[in-house]
Amino acid sequence: MSPASSSVAVSDQFPAGLRVLVVDDDPIWLRILEKMLRKCLYEVTKCNRAEIALDMLRMSKNGYDIVISDVHMPDMDGFKLHEQVGLEMDLPVIMMSVDGCTQDVMKGVTHGACNYLLKPIRIKELRNIWQHVAQQPKPFEESDDSYSVNQGNWRTSNRRKDEEEEAEKRDDTSTLKKPRFLVS
Amino acid sequence: MERNQQLRRQLASMRQSLFDQGHLDEQFILLEELQDDANPNFVEEVVTLHYRDSARLITTIERALEKSPLDFNKLDGYMHQFKGSSTSIGAKKVKAESTQFREYCEAGNGEGCMKTFQLLKRDYATLRRKLEAYFQQALPGA
Repeated sequence: MSPASSSVAVSDQFPAGLRVLVVDDDPIWLRILEKMLRKCLYEVTKCNRAEIALDMLRMSKNGYDIVISDVHMPDMDGFKLHEQVGLEMDLPVIMMSVDGCTQDVMKGVTHGACNYLLKPIRIKELRNIWQHVAQQPKPFEESDDSYSVNQGNWRTSNRRKDEEEEAEKRDDTSTLKKPRFLVS
Repeated sequence: MERNQQLRRQLASMRQSLFDQGHLDEQFILLEELQDDANPNFVEEVVTLHYRDSARLITTIERALEKSPLDFNKLDGYMHQFKGSSTSIGAKKVKAESTQFREYCEAGNGEGCMKTFQLLKRDYATLRRKLEAYFQQALPGA
């Protein structure tokens, strides 16, 4: 499947075909999440190591629409992964954990996660993740529905890019990530 | 066939008792709902994976509990993994006990950890046995 054809498929049938990278060191959860995401008609890639996930994202710049990752992983802190992904790729990142402690959730927010899912995760929560993905207007046909639904996200994404550029000029890392946190 | 009906009823009642006795929660039902023609034995596969993984963790935790002084950070880390794994199959009692264990870790209460771990091991073994029996009965040609 070439990247070009799959990106056309995404905009035509969105949110079906949404390209999800799911990262979790627990092989059982990877298996379950894969099954659940496929049931939502998403395209799933599994990865059990944060370092590898970063490599995959770097090698395939536009290959994914969204990343879902567990927070507690042995090789790289999930928070660190979220931060890197948000900074380098400007992809929405959802964090998962079997813990629901406020500290972790807030940490996720400050590291740029756009949502937080508590395990066990329900299918309904996964069905909704497309809402975090900014959709570009279709090239030949601007569908009012899709554009208006995602207008908020699209604008937020662009605004964040501007803020990032500003922050870089100021060399101020504290404002680099503006949390756009949605609790579903 | 009457025999088949009998077996099916037996199976249904085995399954129901797992919920009634508080061993399993809704996550198990979610796994059943994910089972389809592409993966007809999905539940059994996931459960088998879980027991392989978790058995290793139980041994690791056991060894860690023999050390002196106890490393509560390490213990908490192992139990966090174990809890994640137990959550995946809906092991309700075991999950609650792992949460309790982690609370004792946070409090630095070694005795609490050990007592909870004994309870956890007991409930873990019970559920494992019951699920093995269930799948033995459920799967054709078993």
